[in-house]
Amino acid sequence: MTEPDFEDRLLLLHAALDGELDAAGVIEMERMLAADPELAAQYARLEALRQTIRAKAPRERAPDSLRLRALEMIEGGELSRREAKTAPWRGPPSWKNFAAAMAATVVVTLGLQHLIASRDSPDALLQAIVSAHMRGQISGQPVDVVSTDRHTVKPWLAGKLPVAAVVVDLAEAGFPLAGGRIDVVAGAGVPTLVYKRRDHLVSVTELRAESGDDPATLRHLAVEGYPVVRWSDGEHAYAAVSDLSPTELDAFVAAFRQAVVKERGAGGGAETAK
Amino acid sequence: MTRKTGRRNFAEHVLPHLDDAYSLARWLAGDPTDAEDIVQDACIRALRALEDGALVERPRAWLLAIVRNAAYSWFAKNRPRAIILAGGAEEAEAHENALETGTSPSPEAELIETADRAMVAAAIDDLPLVYRETLVMREMSGLSYREISEATGAPIGTVMSRLARARALLVAKLGTSR
Repeated sequence: MTEPDFEDRLLLLHAALDGELDAAGVIEMERMLAADPELAAQYARLEALRQTIRAKAPRERAPDSLRLRALEMIEGGELSRREAKTAPWRGPPSWKNFAAAMAATVVVTLGLQHLIASRDSPDALLQAIVSAHMRGQISGQPVDVVSTDRHTVKPWLAGKLPVAAVVVDLAEAGFPLAGGRIDVVAGAGVPTLVYKRRDHLVSVTELRAESGDDPATLRHLAVEGYPVVRWSDGEHAYAAVSDLSPTELDAFVAAFRQAVVKERGAGGGAETAK
Repeated sequence: MTRKTGRRNFAEHVLPHLDDAYSLARWLAGDPTDAEDIVQDACIRALRALEDGALVERPRAWLLAIVRNAAYSWFAKNRPRAIILAGGAEEAEAHENALETGTSPSPEAELIETADRAMVAAAIDDLPLVYRETLVMREMSGLSYREISEATGAPIGTVMSRLARARALLVAKLGTSR
């Protein structure tokens, strides 16, 4: 095998740095680096450059105004130019303002007529829940209270809503808590917990149980392309939505249900803990 | 393909990559306000393409190709000089040895590491447009060579030499004593 010339070796060096070499290429590269101090020094410089760029010139976050305009495009409104509108969900996070902002978002998302025509049908509920999840993802603010600690999220929700939400810790199952928010569904505020999995989010919303709900059944649906799982434990109904694969969402639901049973079994002892 | 499907695909293909789109536009245009205009234009183009039934295999590369086109049309309208400069870089690329490293004082890795934000930003801004866009796609957005090739329309070999050249320029600028 002939040695690649210097220029080719430099290109290989970049390919190695960029993870573009196959296993055989990596081995060959390591051999060349060991044999050639100048090449090794060049590799060290390139690695230093990469670290520096990552630390000092990271990818920038798109401004909220841009996110909002992209969101408007999906919602089918007229495309507004930058100056035209301000984000409806900006402003002080007081409950009243927030509820109004959320209601506005839901109305925009569903279309007013649709909302009036079927505000109590289960589909409208799920639409609202999925819209809230999408809004959270698009705005980059999926939660109102950011915390990985359920003992922070639970009292925050309890202070805003008349219901006592069950908040469980699923970090061990691979779904650390990201925080909580309040969604407005069918005109009422409901607690939503947000869990993370890699870069993905799972929103799980607690709803009033309906008389027809069978605790043993999980209902799998797809709303706006998102997988949604709905279930009830007799006392409460839940809906989980995510951009995860349906399989992973199922794993989440299983872990969540198990943890809720355990939490209830503990007699709500966690409420007083800490 | 209906409007609704187009919008759903937009939510799926475009929204998750808005940060990448904005970063590219920001580094190409050098100005946050111009970058927003460019990305907004790109979003409109993307939505139209999806409503027309565009099939998207690699959404991020696809979107960045649109952002890049939007940026170049924006330059043509607002900054004709930038295009001339970009053309100049392409020319230069064809002639010079893209990888020559004959800088006499050998650049030091330690110096590169201690460069501050302003220095790094200035060094990247100084790169010719074609090198800058390749570097931004690779380093800020983590695109593979293949995706960069798709987004810029350049063969993979060209992507590799542009990237090598961009890095060589940055190493020379940031790694020699200042």
